[in-house]
Amino acid sequence: CSAPRPAQAISGSTVPTDPHWLGPRRDARLSPRTGVVPFMALLLLQRRPVAGRVLLVTGPGCPGHGLCRSNVQEQTRRQVALLNATAQDLFSLYLKCQGEPFSSETDKLCNPGGVFFPAFRVNRTSERKEVMVAMYKLFAFLNASLGNITHDQEELNPTAKELLDRLHNTTKTTRGLISNLTCLLCKNYNVFQVDVSYGESSKGKSAFKKKQQGCQVLRKYVQVIAQAARILLPHLSPP
Amino acid sequence: MFSGWNWVAYGLYLFLNICSLEVSGGLVQSCGHIIPESPVLALGSNFTALCVLNESCLDFGNIYANQIIWKIKNRVVPKEQYHEINRTVSSVTFNDTSSLATPLTCNILADGQIEQNIYGITVTLGLPPEKPRNVSCIVHQVSKLTYPMTCTWNPGRRMFLDTHFRLKYKWPRDNFPDCVPKDVNNSCTITDVQFFVNLEVWVEAANALGKAESDPLVFDPIEIVKPLSPHNLSVNSGILPTVLKLSWENRISAAVMKLKFNIRYRIIGETNWMKVPPEDTASPRTSFSVQGLRPYTEYVFSIRCMKEDGVGYWSDWSEEKTGVTTEDKPSKGPPIWRIIDASRSPASWTVHLMWKALESFEANGVILQYEVTVRAKSSLTSPSEKYNVNTTNLTLKLPNGTYEMTVIAHNRVGASPPSILLIPTSNLKAPVKNIRTLPKDGKLWVGWTAPNSYVLKYVIEWCLLSNSSDCIIEWQNEPGNVQGTYLKGDIKPFKCYLITVYPLYADDQGSGQTVKAYLQQDRPSKGPTVQTKKVGKAEAVLTWNHLTVDEQNGFIRSYTIFYKTVDGNETAVTVDSSKTEYTLSSLTSDTLYTVRMMAYTDEGGRSGPDFTFTTQKFGKGEIEAIVVPVCLVFLLIVLLGVLFCFNKCDLIKKHIWPNVPDPSKSNIAKWSPQVPAKHNFSSKDQMYPKGGFTDVSVAEIEADDKKSFSEQDLKPFDLLKKEKSTSEGHSSGIGGSSCMSFPRQSVSDSDEGETTQNTSSTVQYSTVVLNGYRDQTPVQVFSRSESTQPLLVSEERSEDHAGGSDSTTQKQQYFKQNCGQDETNTDRLCFERAKQITPANEGDLVGFAQLQILGPSSQPLGLGMEKNTQEAALSDVLQTSTEGQSVRHETVEGNPLSVDEMPKSYLLQTVRQGGYTPQ
Repeated sequence: CSAPRPAQAISGSTVPTDPHWLGPRRDARLSPRTGVVPFMALLLLQRRPVAGRVLLVTGPGCPGHGLCRSNVQEQTRRQVALLNATAQDLFSLYLKCQGEPFSSETDKLCNPGGVFFPAFRVNRTSERKEVMVAMYKLFAFLNASLGNITHDQEELNPTAKELLDRLHNTTKTTRGLISNLTCLLCKNYNVFQVDVSYGESSKGKSAFKKKQQGCQVLRKYVQVIAQAARILLPHLSPP
Repeated sequence: MFSGWNWVAYGLYLFLNICSLEVSGGLVQSCGHIIPESPVLALGSNFTALCVLNESCLDFGNIYANQIIWKIKNRVVPKEQYHEINRTVSSVTFNDTSSLATPLTCNILADGQIEQNIYGITVTLGLPPEKPRNVSCIVHQVSKLTYPMTCTWNPGRRMFLDTHFRLKYKWPRDNFPDCVPKDVNNSCTITDVQFFVNLEVWVEAANALGKAESDPLVFDPIEIVKPLSPHNLSVNSGILPTVLKLSWENRISAAVMKLKFNIRYRIIGETNWMKVPPEDTASPRTSFSVQGLRPYTEYVFSIRCMKEDGVGYWSDWSEEKTGVTTEDKPSKGPPIWRIIDASRSPASWTVHLMWKALESFEANGVILQYEVTVRAKSSLTSPSEKYNVNTTNLTLKLPNGTYEMTVIAHNRVGASPPSILLIPTSNLKAPVKNIRTLPKDGKLWVGWTAPNSYVLKYVIEWCLLSNSSDCIIEWQNEPGNVQGTYLKGDIKPFKCYLITVYPLYADDQGSGQTVKAYLQQDRPSKGPTVQTKKVGKAEAVLTWNHLTVDEQNGFIRSYTIFYKTVDGNETAVTVDSSKTEYTLSSLTSDTLYTVRMMAYTDEGGRSGPDFTFTTQKFGKGEIEAIVVPVCLVFLLIVLLGVLFCFNKCDLIKKHIWPNVPDPSKSNIAKWSPQVPAKHNFSSKDQMYPKGGFTDVSVAEIEADDKKSFSEQDLKPFDLLKKEKSTSEGHSSGIGGSSCMSFPRQSVSDSDEGETTQNTSSTVQYSTVVLNGYRDQTPVQVFSRSESTQPLLVSEERSEDHAGGSDSTTQKQQYFKQNCGQDETNTDRLCFERAKQITPANEGDLVGFAQLQILGPSSQPLGLGMEKNTQEAALSDVLQTSTEGQSVRHETVEGNPLSVDEMPKSYLLQTVRQGGYTPQ
């Protein structure tokens, strides 16, 4: 991770507020590199946490029916496991790349209590459908948030290649996870619509605030993904 | 993208349009057009084009559709393909577009004759795309987080049109931008893929004639990953000398993919890899301990990985890393052997003990020294001697006996088991049998048949035979249960090796069996130099020396001798290789031959230098065969001659050494006219007690003619007498009357007695002594011969005849020679002898020579002779005598009469008147 830029928020600079900030995700067809679901991207236009209802199916039958194979469940588990396995490293690398005071004041600056994060109130005994829906909500939020964080880091730490790569990969994984969950919800549980909530946009915030928001989201992500992995394991393990 | 032909057609079309405008001068300008405009057609399909004329041209130029002519390039389309739809529209139909070419033009015959172009179009022909087949994808890991996916496919047939291929892929709910191949039409790479999501992939091919899609391929990209190989491989020595521990880093997260591994290793310097059993490395890991390695050996390791469940691809092998196991004590003792000096004395011998350095896998470390123990087996009380050496040989001078040699190798860790060699006094046990060699795979294999007894091990000893160097012995041990092995040394081709196999028993050694062998044979480097040992008339013995072992290059199987004459064909003779000499036979004498010789191995032969020789003109013994018989014949002749001489001694003697009566002892000296003619016949023996005379010359001197014999006439006679008396002093004084009277012989008065003894009979001659004898007053006297030879009847007759006819007394004097008592016809001898005399009496015997000339004309003696012949002869003699010949020697030859018919004697008489008439 290259030397981080000085946190402008600390210096007290003003964060520009542009309610029409679109960034690179203006195109409805999401770049594979960003891995952010287009619908979510639209939601990111909002500066506040927003709620929405995602229409999983737009036509008759489940989307990509031929792709919703029996291995999707295992793929979903592997994806969650992969995210869980890489979350801590991602967070550590993020902190490292943000420089001080994030490295030393992590607990204080990155306390996730101050940011929105979707509730993940399922456990091992929850119904599988409920778990799947909760997972969908969680990863829909994460996908959007990771997209924003990635975008912010591309501006703040454009030379932090590894961090950016990890952010990209994580974002892509969440996108793939959403694809698989969509497949599972549609095919197995006939769920065609899910209400989702997205986080607050960092658009217009200071660099410090962007960093802090990213740090808070990622820290929460580390905690939630571990929980999700634990919960999901018995539900998605092969019979 | 337009093809080249399309551009050409398009350019031509524009050119035609321009020309049409210019040439027509506006007459047919824009008078029509073709529908469709520049179509793209599928090869083999049918096609119809319409040429539509403008109405304005109808009125202006009287141009109608029935005047339209369709042309492809410059070729007119057959009218059968035309169809006049109405007066302004003409169509042309092609059932197969393969016959089409560009441009297709619509033309018209203006004024019925002038062809004017109305319009033209380009026609593009091609094929619609085929469905791409054999789509396959692979995800190459290029970094820890980067996984590009490359898909390949078969684009199908050539379509002659600009065809676009696109790799399409999508998730269940998401589509992604197409992957467009760059510069190729059969592969495309998606820069990054996401694992654990089913991906649908297909290939779309599209051109002007249509689209085609491959069958979709659905897979999770994690199933087609070729991961990066593990890196940072390290090799560490373990506690055990047979273990090395490998450690590495995987470049793919275990959360993404669990891996299994392959580990391979080899001893450095070798090429063959060994593999750790795959089941031992089938689980994810980052280290592994390789066991069962050789101590103190450097190994090379490499590792690769793939998805644990075996779905996907193996990574490439990692970079190689080396590691060395720790030392261990030597696993075995060094192989040991000995060379005993050939010049062993009865009391002691010199033993060169030698052993081989242990192989690295046996030494298990660095050998620091060898411990050699020598123990005499015969003397149990004598202590063993120990030597610590750093080399691999030891020379010992030992008393004659049986010894047990022990060699132990030491390294840092410990000592090897002992190697024991028994050196007996003599190798008496059974040797191996049937030792043989066989070149195989570039090595020399030696085989043998084991003896009946149990053999502990074998020692194979060999050396290179060369003229330029000594036979340096190399050797190797083989276990007792084998009956063949490859020689472990630098065995060179074309070199002769002397190989000996010794069986070693538990308590003794067998004698060695030896064989010569070549790893590879070649032609001899030179041929034998042949030369002749002996050359004869029809054969030649050739010799040569065997080629040296350095020149042979193989086993000399045979020699071939080629020989030829200068202009003859070459003849070849094959000779056994053991020979060094050969005899060429049936050669032509006195001929130059060229001979050369080739020596052959199994691989061919080489010729030596030419050698020439010339066969001899005569064979052995031929000269001897000629000379010896000639000599023998000569000797035989000589011998026969000698024998003849001995047998005819008396005869020879008579001729060669005639007994000339000593006149002094002649009775004539006592004889006087008064003495009766037959007086003293009885005293013959007294006078010549030892023999008679062999010949008697009679000189008939006619008293009446005395005067006619002047002194000059008698001079020769006197000269003869004088010469004899003066030169030899022993002349008989008879005046050379005898034809055999050699001067020396005739004067051998001293031998007179002997001679007379050998004479069986003598004839007494009467001699006329003209001069005084021994101081006597020379008076003309008659000396009567005291010859005891009986007078022949004819003599009596002659005498009678002579007495009866005075005319016969007129005979001239002459010598008459009787060469033998009973060889009246062998006058030739006398003649020859007379010839021998001739040189001595050359001057004196001219008349004698004349007689020789006259001889043939003389008549044979006989009855006739008594008549006319004698008269003629006498007349001749007389005629000759007048010329100075007083003495004649008449030879009678060629008498045709038989002996019986011949007169048996001659009449010897004096015809001088008044002279004495012998009886």
